[in-house]
Amino acid sequence: MNIVITGVSKGLGLYLCKILLEKSYNVFGISRSKTIELEDLMSMYPDSFKWLNYNLNNTDNIRQDIFKNWIGFDIPIHGLVNNAATAYDDIITNLDIDSLEQMFTVNVFASMILTKFAIRHMLLHNIKGSIVHISSISVHTGYKGLSMYAATKGALEAFSKNVAREWGEIGIRSNCLVAGFMETEMSSTLTNEQKNRIYNRTALKKSVEINSVAETIEFLISQKSNSITGQNINVDSGTI
Amino acid sequence: MEARVFEIINTVLSNRSKPKISSLKSEMDLRNDLGMDSLDLAELTVRIEAEYDVDIFEDGIVRTVGEVLKKI
Ligand SMILES: NC(=O)c1ccc[n+]([C@@H]2O[C@H](COP(=O)([O-])OP(=O)(O)OC[C@H]3O[C@@H](n4cnc5c(N)ncnc54)[C@H](OP(=O)(O)O)[C@@H]3O)[C@@H](O)[C@H]2O)c1
Repeated sequence: MNIVITGVSKGLGLYLCKILLEKSYNVFGISRSKTIELEDLMSMYPDSFKWLNYNLNNTDNIRQDIFKNWIGFDIPIHGLVNNAATAYDDIITNLDIDSLEQMFTVNVFASMILTKFAIRHMLLHNIKGSIVHISSISVHTGYKGLSMYAATKGALEAFSKNVAREWGEIGIRSNCLVAGFMETEMSSTLTNEQKNRIYNRTALKKSVEINSVAETIEFLISQKSNSITGQNINVDSGTI
Repeated sequence: MEARVFEIINTVLSNRSKPKISSLKSEMDLRNDLGMDSLDLAELTVRIEAEYDVDIFEDGIVRTVGEVLKKI
């Protein structure tokens, strides 16, 4: 199975590549930077792991650079994981429109355009593919400073549900993985006090294991989840 | 080219378990005569695009077989 994953240089995306490659998937990974960890993974899986340096801020060339020139129309795509995202966090009275627009471009518009072309690719090859969008618990539980970021993820959740409805009769599925707080670079600016406050709002009282999120994404991508579509699956240490 | 478009249209129709057509006429309406819905038209677009590198619906509405042929 060929899976396209965005944001593979670090954090969840990198970890997801690792477990998919271990399970013999072919991975097409996208990010702007090539970290040492990413390079290691590429040399371990020279045949099944392809990487493209692409800035998802550039939505104009997604078809040409990603789907036509890099993947190619001959290769079927079975899954897409919209994982790349940026977090512009601030209280709303400080809203800066340029930062906000950039975040919406990467988190929402690029994900929608990737979905457009992934579905077109699936139609060409008669593939009943699966699309997974990475959302965030902040959509459902408010956090100070995350209103703008949460709005991008809320947009993705609404998009996913409607795509599921639109393409269900063809067998193409779309789901959101709603992640709770994971220890990655994205969350590294939080103080221990802020982290503890977040953990205290969960049943398990701790951060979310990246492994648990990645394994659930693999489940949603695979045929094990054939009857699941249009859903938000929470992997969030039981946020309550 | 016409023969190829004829084949592509029948591929789309049979993929969606709809009756195939026996001949292609340029005045045929994709929706009313061929029975295609928006999802069928999406598949038709993609198959034509893969071969001719044009997105037939990119600028405006295409209704008939003749209009499709004119685009490619
Ligand atoms: N960490 C959390 O607590 C948490 C909680 C809930 C949801 N999430 C979501 O989980 C997903 C993964 O987050 P993470 O924590 O792993 O974040 P991360 O460590 O910051 O990684 C983000 C990835 O996205 C890529 N990316 C960002 N902007 C890009 C652009 N313009 N073009 C291409 N790639 C870009 C980055 O690669 P480059 O910088 O190399 O381009 C990187 O590989 C995100 O959707 C995030 O919103 C995270």
